[in-house]
Amino acid sequence: MSERDVVTVRGLRKTYGKRVVVDGVDLTVAAGEIVGLVGANGAGKTTTVECIQGLRRPDAGVLRVLGYDPVTQAARLRPLVGSQLQDSALPDRLRVAEALDLFATSRGRDGGELLEQFGLAGQRRSVFSSLSGGERQRLFLVLALLNRPRLVILDELTQGLDPAARRNVWAAVRQLHDTGTTVLLVTHEMDEAEALCGRIVVMRAGRVLDAGTPAELVDRHARRATIRFSLPDLPAPLLQEIRQLDGVRDVELSGAQVTVHGDRRIIAHVGAALVRRGSVPEDLGVHVPDLEDALLGLLEREPAVGAPVPAPDELAGGRR
Amino acid sequence: MSTAVGRLARIELRLMTRDPLVLTFVFAFPVVTMLIIGGAFGTAPNPGFDHVNPAHWYVASYLTVVIAATGLVMLPVHLASYRERGVLRRFAAAGFPRWSFAIAQLIAGLVTTVAACGMLLIVAAPVYGIPAMHDWWRVAAALPLGAVAFISLGVLLGSLLPSARSAQAVGLLIFFPSFLLGAGGPPPQVMGSAVRHVAGPLPLTLLTNAVREPWLGLGPATGSLAAVAALAAAATFAAARRMAL
Repeated sequence: MSERDVVTVRGLRKTYGKRVVVDGVDLTVAAGEIVGLVGANGAGKTTTVECIQGLRRPDAGVLRVLGYDPVTQAARLRPLVGSQLQDSALPDRLRVAEALDLFATSRGRDGGELLEQFGLAGQRRSVFSSLSGGERQRLFLVLALLNRPRLVILDELTQGLDPAARRNVWAAVRQLHDTGTTVLLVTHEMDEAEALCGRIVVMRAGRVLDAGTPAELVDRHARRATIRFSLPDLPAPLLQEIRQLDGVRDVELSGAQVTVHGDRRIIAHVGAALVRRGSVPEDLGVHVPDLEDALLGLLEREPAVGAPVPAPDELAGGRR
Repeated sequence: MSTAVGRLARIELRLMTRDPLVLTFVFAFPVVTMLIIGGAFGTAPNPGFDHVNPAHWYVASYLTVVIAATGLVMLPVHLASYRERGVLRRFAAAGFPRWSFAIAQLIAGLVTTVAACGMLLIVAAPVYGIPAMHDWWRVAAALPLGAVAFISLGVLLGSLLPSARSAQAVGLLIFFPSFLLGAGGPPPQVMGSAVRHVAGPLPLTLLTNAVREPWLGLGPATGSLAAVAALAAAATFAAARRMAL
């Protein structure tokens, strides 16, 4: 447990009745980091962060957040943490400006600036029930940042946001990082985790499967790449050469279409071979593995006992 | 009031005014039923009503109907809805002090009760007249104690019931028998002994006794007042524990 650690979790366990939701989770978040907690629905991510926030009492384990025990010192801890919760609401008839007044403490920032930043300045007098899903999410983010928190916990940050609003929110999270705020981000959007997080912790069935930078996870769990192209009269020597290239695992032929599977080195080798032979196809396409591929690779290799393997769209919330 | 409790109480009261339907039951139901039943038995002193004017009997009884409607119907639905939708989790995560929400509800409930009782008396005065208060300090003690007891019961129900719908069902199920047996229905003198036995220990009966009897000079109702005080203490303790953020 280092002095730089903002969150330290050791052996966290939480059950609901007989169902074990979090099972021996270890997690460390250092000051200034953006750490992503990723995994399919039901992986135990939200319960883990709710224990970190002091909203749930763990059955076992040691938790320290900003030097406080979230269970016994919640009153001291909570004002230092900005939270954007997954399933929560405000009173239906509460206006946006009133929400800022209600949630602001003496350490509060200028709420007007935040509303401006998140495109809600025109909604000051709107009541909560009249806001769209995206506007509600942005308001929750404004409230999470209002009191200059030292740790920000964002659970399903961009759920319901359109692409432009997502980018806007991502920029705000990067700004937070630039000002030294520590962020713990819960998501099952892999592109979001890849774009924002310096380190990612992968959870499944209440356990941590692996952790590392996005590049490390991709490297460990998704080394493969796929190249597709069409050559109507594929010369046999070229095909033979491709099969023997370093890193190629498999070559599929379907009519004029060629699909080459292998590790990421094949992108360079196949491209070079095609250029050498003067056969550069018009439709050359390359699929480079990303974090989502890495996560799928990881989950396929380490299926949890009794847990179904999630569908890709469940992991990624649908690829955008 | 810039404390967390002050901000919460102020917002809660403001939100109530924006949702008039929520207040209808607390403000309109007691007034309408008092006007109907208060005129049903005339104004001549009646042995069924301990030899007092039946209209005055009901005017002195109906302040407790306001209190019960606030505690048993309005608050449980309101709080269960907050819990169901995650509003309380948001308050908790935002660092509102542990007891702030329960205290804010108590304040908002008391203000609502005072306003609704005032309205009831304003309507009753020109129609039936306000009966003279024989033992005002006992009435003055019973009303706030009863309000605290029923508001705390409402907070407790709202914290225990899983949804706004179930809170409404359970709240009404408790309210209407209590109303008919303990405040707004027939006087105990005309009830059969079995019904009187059931009605006697109901919280609303005890509160109504503690208000009506000293008000109309029918007796001190010390036992009822003590029971209401005990209920207020127990319910407030339980509600504060359950509603801690």
